[in-house]
Amino acid sequence: MAGDKGKALSAENSPTKKKRGNNKTATSKTTKGVHYEDERYSEDALNRMSERMGVPASQISHMLETLKQAAQDSDAIAKITDAYNGDKSALIQVLLQIQRENRWLPKSVLISVCEKLGVPISQAYRIATFYKAFSLTPQGRHGISVCMGTACHVRQAPRLLDRVKDTIGIQPGETSADEKFTLETVNCLGCCALGPVMVVDDKYYSNPSVHEIEQIVNACE
Amino acid sequence: MARLKSTADLEKTRQKILSKRDPSRPCITVCAGTGCHALGANLVYEAFINEIAKNGLNKKVDIRRTGCHGFCERGPITVIFPDEICYLGIKAEDVPEIISTTLIEKRLVDRLLYEDKDGVKIAHEGDIPFYKHQQRLIFGSNQHIDPESIEDYIALGGYSALAKALSTMKPDDVLDTIKRANLRGRGGGGFPAGVKWETTRNAPGDIKYVIVNADEGDPGAFMDRSLLEGNPHSVIEGLIIGAYAVGSHQGYVYVRQEYPLAVSNLTLALNQARELGILGKNILDSGFDFDVIIHRGAGAFVSGESSALMNAIEGKVGEPRPKYIRTAVSGIWERPSNLNNVETWANVPLIIDKGADWFTSIGTEGSKGTKIFSLVGKVNNTGLVEVPMGISLREIIYDIGGGIPQGKKFKAVQTGGPSGGCLPESYLDIPVDFDELSKAGSMMGSGGMIVMDEDTCMVDVARYFIDFLADESCGKCVPCRAGLEQMLSILDRICNGEGKAEDIEVLEELSDVLQDSALCALGQTAPNPVMSTIQYFRDEYEAHIEQKRCPAGVCKALISYYIDPEKCQACKICLGECPVQAISGDKNIIHIIDQELCTKCNTCFEVCPTRFSAVVKISGEPVPPAPPYGTEVVRKKGKQ
Repeated sequence: MAGDKGKALSAENSPTKKKRGNNKTATSKTTKGVHYEDERYSEDALNRMSERMGVPASQISHMLETLKQAAQDSDAIAKITDAYNGDKSALIQVLLQIQRENRWLPKSVLISVCEKLGVPISQAYRIATFYKAFSLTPQGRHGISVCMGTACHVRQAPRLLDRVKDTIGIQPGETSADEKFTLETVNCLGCCALGPVMVVDDKYYSNPSVHEIEQIVNACE
Repeated sequence: MARLKSTADLEKTRQKILSKRDPSRPCITVCAGTGCHALGANLVYEAFINEIAKNGLNKKVDIRRTGCHGFCERGPITVIFPDEICYLGIKAEDVPEIISTTLIEKRLVDRLLYEDKDGVKIAHEGDIPFYKHQQRLIFGSNQHIDPESIEDYIALGGYSALAKALSTMKPDDVLDTIKRANLRGRGGGGFPAGVKWETTRNAPGDIKYVIVNADEGDPGAFMDRSLLEGNPHSVIEGLIIGAYAVGSHQGYVYVRQEYPLAVSNLTLALNQARELGILGKNILDSGFDFDVIIHRGAGAFVSGESSALMNAIEGKVGEPRPKYIRTAVSGIWERPSNLNNVETWANVPLIIDKGADWFTSIGTEGSKGTKIFSLVGKVNNTGLVEVPMGISLREIIYDIGGGIPQGKKFKAVQTGGPSGGCLPESYLDIPVDFDELSKAGSMMGSGGMIVMDEDTCMVDVARYFIDFLADESCGKCVPCRAGLEQMLSILDRICNGEGKAEDIEVLEELSDVLQDSALCALGQTAPNPVMSTIQYFRDEYEAHIEQKRCPAGVCKALISYYIDPEKCQACKICLGECPVQAISGDKNIIHIIDQELCTKCNTCFEVCPTRFSAVVKISGEPVPPAPPYGTEVVRKKGKQ
């Protein structure tokens, strides 16, 4: 899925990198040191295309990778929409599943979903911006939630949120620049006895101090 | 299990399940509800499995992972049947001792038992004050059921109410029973369920829907979640009975995707019911067809409103629509749709099984049966409690909840979620039912009950709810969209010490407008937290506005932290913990807070040992000058 955009981007530099190094590196899948299994996208082919079109080979490779990604996405999306028989009323359910697998909803994916379900793109955007579960930007690898439910609130949850914000340096709803953390506030996690609560990757912490937050955050890869 | 072809088949199956079970055989139940799960119940469960195997007890002891037992404060909880021995706050390390002492040597592990305030140990769950004052008709089954096992539910008599309804009652009889029972909607409104069912039944159209509202969005409320997670079949059974009465063949469960365990347990339960022929075509050979679709909500508080929820099921944005015609008549795809809350549906099998007269014998004149509350906030025993209607708030908070922690003073109890209100101490003795709470300016709501003590600022609480509601307002109607924003900005101003004399009056005016003109219940009830706090805690508003003082010491802009030089013992704890290094001092040197650097994070206040209590919050008056740096600590005699 498009969440692997990171992969697509890293492939951008790979041909040039390989050129400098030894072509027979253990990681390369073909003898020519190119990542793609498809021979048409071999290094030579890319260089030829690059000369003919007057664009750097890296750009072409990135473009091809994007196209390939889009085709893969389209198949994956079709699987999800098919599970709902392509029913228009399943739009929210389809988006929820994509959000869960991919952690965010890229524009290309929204377009593809709308084509398959036959709904206008405006409706998908309306839903994606209305509900809290959806994100139109990439999410961090680790989700940090601070509960702002009433029970936690009266037990000083705002102070806990301040501590978390100060420690990781981002505001609720934001993702850190290295895409490591996304901080969000939630309204009641149903474990009020522990309040105020912070949850990191599904682990619950009851009223952690500044030092504990630092430890928890540093333990994340 | 084979498909059940008749109601007699169901009874045969139950007898078969029961014959395989030995009631005298020990059964260890481990609560795996959300609270206990967060406290590590899964590790405890695994430890039990390992330890049972290690001692070769596999064939002598049963183990069951169940839904929420309710006493979240003391989780993880284990109850060992048949003796009902209750161990609280257990860790995986305690498991070997429990197995060797309680199961093998048949003795109690004293240190894991509940201890009352006189130091008496209590072994049986039902004797613990938290449980003793409850009447757990709906919630009580949770601890006997593995939510993933339909057999457990059937063994307890599950689906017998459905069998009774389908084989011996006509839809009208079912409807009549629910009406006579005067079952009122547990989701907040308290509308009589029977009347709603009848409206849908009599509405024109062949296709009708029944829906479970499990979009439990009230912060601080989690009973619907615990019911769905712990005993999903009870809700399904109620729904099928309702569908039969209403004449519907398609049901929906609208459940928040934030409750993944509820979604998965429910999905499993629906599949099990289908396999057994309890859902699908010709249920138990009655000729009645019915099935259920799960719709996961994507996180919007307003989508719990009936018309908004139905919009969402249609795949649209979950915004309310004007209800000139009730959803009971024109709901999903403009067809008659009957929506009830999780807890309401879970009441239905009990009423059908035991009769309307039994149900009306519990509760008050206008509110029958029991209600589950989530008792949270500044209370000793946080958890889910099920009590008969008519019990007083005082009984819930003090007898069941064990009062306020750390000897603090009770200030208010907030019921009804963001649409409810805050009631002061003088209202603690009113009977809890739909009408009494509304009269007092609050409401029953879905059952959140948040206890607040003297350290809670009521203006801040009002601001919190309005902030929540302004964020959750869909923005479709102007009063709610613009009104809440205005109220929030005024409350923000007051909390920041910039309140104006006329602010209270303007808040009241805005509240009136919202109540009269908002499109849906969210907007109409949104002013309740403000109105009730102004009504009962006006002095706090005035202190914020006139004296720039926050009596509870909560509003950051109005407080300062100060170390009392006479009490400071230079222990260096606050100095080390301060995240912004605003505290200076040294061994034997009185610590001083630099007011410029202080971010008012409350850390020093929390870490200062209670025997010193040197860190104080100051509000409404200037911070006294700190002693010059280097002043030595005044040690109290004998306390060196």
